Amino acid sequence: MIATIGQFFLSAAFIAAIAAMISYAIAAYKEDEKIERISHWLWYAKGISLLIASIALIRLIVTHRFEYYYVWNYTSLDLETMYLYSAFYGGQEGSFMLWILCGFVVGIGLIKWTRKPYMAPVMFVMTLTQFFLLSMVVGWDLIVTQIGATPFRTIAQEMPNAPFIQANPDFVPADGSGLNDLLKSPWMMIHPPIIFVGFAMMTVPFAFAIASLWTKTYHEWIRPALPWTLAANLSLLTAIFLGGYWAYETLSFGGYWAWDPVENASLVPWLIGTAGIHAMIIQRKSSRAHKASLFFAILAYVGIVYQTFLTRSGVLAEQSVHSFVDLGLYGQLLLFILAMTIMGIGFYLYRYRELPSPEEDSKFLSREFMTFTGSMLLFILGFVIIIGTSSPIIGRFFVENPTPPEIQFYNDWSMPIAIIMLFATVIGQYLFWQKHTWESLAGALIVPLLATSIATVLTIVLGEVRNLYYMVYIFAGWFAVMGNAAVLFHLIRKNPKLIGGTVTHIGFGILLLGVIASSVYTEPLLDQRTMDYNARVMAGEVYDEEGFRVTNRVEMFEMELDKPVLINNKYMVTYKGYDVEDSPRPGQQTYTLKFEPIDGSRPFYMNPVVYPMLTTSSAESTEWTVDPHVRTGWMQDIYLYVAGSRYVERRNEEVAARNRGLASVSDAPELQEQNQSIEMQQGETIETGPFSITFQSYLPASESDLPENTQIGIRSLVKVEHMPSGNAYEVEPLFAVYTDDDRSYTYSPPLEIERWGMEISFTRIHPESDSIELTIDGLDLDYEEDWILVVAEKKPFVSIVWLGTFLLMAGFSISIMRHWKREKDTEEKR
Amino acid sequence: MKPKLVIGVFSIVLFTSLLMYNFGNSISSYVSFEQAAERANAHVVGVWDDTQEYGFSRESMQFSFHMKDEDGNVRRVVYPRPKPNNFEEATQLVVIGEMRSNGVFHANDMLMKCPSKYNDGSELVNAQEN
Repeated sequence: MIATIGQFFLSAAFIAAIAAMISYAIAAYKEDEKIERISHWLWYAKGISLLIASIALIRLIVTHRFEYYYVWNYTSLDLETMYLYSAFYGGQEGSFMLWILCGFVVGIGLIKWTRKPYMAPVMFVMTLTQFFLLSMVVGWDLIVTQIGATPFRTIAQEMPNAPFIQANPDFVPADGSGLNDLLKSPWMMIHPPIIFVGFAMMTVPFAFAIASLWTKTYHEWIRPALPWTLAANLSLLTAIFLGGYWAYETLSFGGYWAWDPVENASLVPWLIGTAGIHAMIIQRKSSRAHKASLFFAILAYVGIVYQTFLTRSGVLAEQSVHSFVDLGLYGQLLLFILAMTIMGIGFYLYRYRELPSPEEDSKFLSREFMTFTGSMLLFILGFVIIIGTSSPIIGRFFVENPTPPEIQFYNDWSMPIAIIMLFATVIGQYLFWQKHTWESLAGALIVPLLATSIATVLTIVLGEVRNLYYMVYIFAGWFAVMGNAAVLFHLIRKNPKLIGGTVTHIGFGILLLGVIASSVYTEPLLDQRTMDYNARVMAGEVYDEEGFRVTNRVEMFEMELDKPVLINNKYMVTYKGYDVEDSPRPGQQTYTLKFEPIDGSRPFYMNPVVYPMLTTSSAESTEWTVDPHVRTGWMQDIYLYVAGSRYVERRNEEVAARNRGLASVSDAPELQEQNQSIEMQQGETIETGPFSITFQSYLPASESDLPENTQIGIRSLVKVEHMPSGNAYEVEPLFAVYTDDDRSYTYSPPLEIERWGMEISFTRIHPESDSIELTIDGLDLDYEEDWILVVAEKKPFVSIVWLGTFLLMAGFSISIMRHWKREKDTEEKR
Repeated sequence: MKPKLVIGVFSIVLFTSLLMYNFGNSISSYVSFEQAAERANAHVVGVWDDTQEYGFSRESMQFSFHMKDEDGNVRRVVYPRPKPNNFEEATQLVVIGEMRSNGVFHANDMLMKCPSKYNDGSELVNAQEN
């Protein structure tokens, strides 16, 4: 019932979108306000219908209606409530719906604030994009073809040929397959809404650009479009940051950025959007760069659609770890990207000759030229990344079956571009606020250059930077920070409202300094043994068993319980054991490692986690996932995860034994635990399993330990050693013979060695052979000391990366407020 | 023709050709184990051969397993890191590294393609049995 309602309103929204699209087109063509008002109502009808459909979907999820494929696929009974709600946009279909809802809200704002002559054409473009997005989820079966995939389809509709559906068409699973554990993170919960708000807002400059080409009013459109573009960029930046932070904290690749296609796809629209902002600012200030701001406004949205195409059509499936499930929307997505490109770029080229161009060229040392340079550099960087990311498509021109480019490709190109950008920000900012000649500019830059040089030299010396290229980069980074800081001081005294751009540029400089520190100077934390081994590998002295030279360094080390290890000559690290809990994830182990800095500063603990991934584990194999612990600090982060442990290995062995069809495994460990009695003489050593037991000597027993009426009372000094680890304990079990009611009893209380779960008692004396009998309970012949395999890294100045990102965000926010307020003010004056 | 235009067009052409040249060099194609022997850094696609022993050795600090490439050749692969998350579940593996003359592939990097776990309904069958 609920699903029927949902599907009905989903279809209604799609029809309303088509109607609104036609109606807005007529309104724009005839410039008729009455039709425009009708179109607005259609827009609202579409939005509200979709809202009802979304509520219906959420209702299905919350009430665990597993007969629906979407509900079954992304949720399960044990999912926490907040993740049930976020499961709404956990899959491809729901995330399209969220995107449309965000677009709807943005549209309400546009209806309220947009003035003539832009209203109808802007809303036409908005509706057109919504039409395409809705077509992805409407799920109409038009005999010849299927339009979209609805979230309201049942399992029977999804896989009609599955045998269990053939057997029982009304089959309802008892539980869902659940949300991927990696995604159960608050960061991942808020990441999609923020990114879709950004996508929806980035539609606005695109719509205004098309409207400006339509109405042939090439100047005015940027005034309303600029704040939206800034806000869209702020959202995208926040989303990229959240994604990076999540990757750093949850995944085991050990960084916040990996040039993964999905990451790149979100970065490129941001870069192009920022290029557009630069162009729009020149256009607003100097009536230039009309062509560029139109071009970038169009391209930023095309970039978003292109990234949607790449991540959702299955093109990237082989290259990226986290692309979406292919829903067979390839054709529809291709149509979407083609329509947007042809409409945007085609219309732009059609009008190109009419676009205003400046009468004379800008001088090199001018605000216009430098800002435009910034714009072009951002565009070029975006272009390079797009080329790399499109390797499954473009790479076919070079080779068959193209692989993604090596990471080096991105680094090689982005680093020099970044260096030029960093220099350009300072010169650009100086020229932005004041006219300069070469001489005056050089004079104004003396102090910042001096400060930059000092900071650079200090960085190079303290950071032991050896590479000339990095030195240049660091100099450029500091120059951007110092130069823009000088501009900032100047502006704060003059008019603090104008600092948005300057703060952004300082943030950019800090971000890039943080990037080099945290990526190039990351080093593994290792124990002395592994470091020595690596030194031998580097010297080419290590050969493997087949006689080949080993070239790979080992970047992990092993630790045993309670055995301190010196790491990087800096920390004494002790593995203190683990706890197994069933919350929040069943079967998760939290390991405890104690770090004691040898310089005497405060010790601290690290608690990495390992857990079985339930969505993909089965009775035949348990899939272990690591959850690293990151210790954040101003100077450096310590990043650490447990790559293997005795606990995990034991569990895997049990599963393997069960798979081989051995008898019930729960009995197996008990079979190995034995109750053993051994007879030995003084000084004798007996080995059993991994343990060696030595009877060293007799010891007198003190009166107070003995029962009443004791005739004999004596202790033996026994040393028990675990041979592989060298751990040893000495115990002094007691043996006594006492009388009670004229009968003799022996008294031999067991002594426990807790660590090995072993109990030793002194059970008999054989005077005839001068030997004693010891009884050992809980002797585990397969006993192995608890160990873990640790991967740890020291990452300097990740904090600086975040600081730079926050400054970028702050700068964008200040600019949004300023431009927004100005728009409001000019409106009131009208 | 204005000289500025010429310079502009020239630098765009230069930049693009340099970029494409470099891009062309930094990608390679997915190959089989046999072809990999001729390359320094080869990407081989295949599936895990689960009939043979596999696992992480604490002595050599390497994870080793056997992989069957798309031509059906099976080779031992060693990887100098712990067993990656999701290894057993992967429907496809990409190993990046070099083929040694003794027929062992030394991977520096490894990618796993995880199943679009849904379409065969096998999980549902499990759910039903439970």
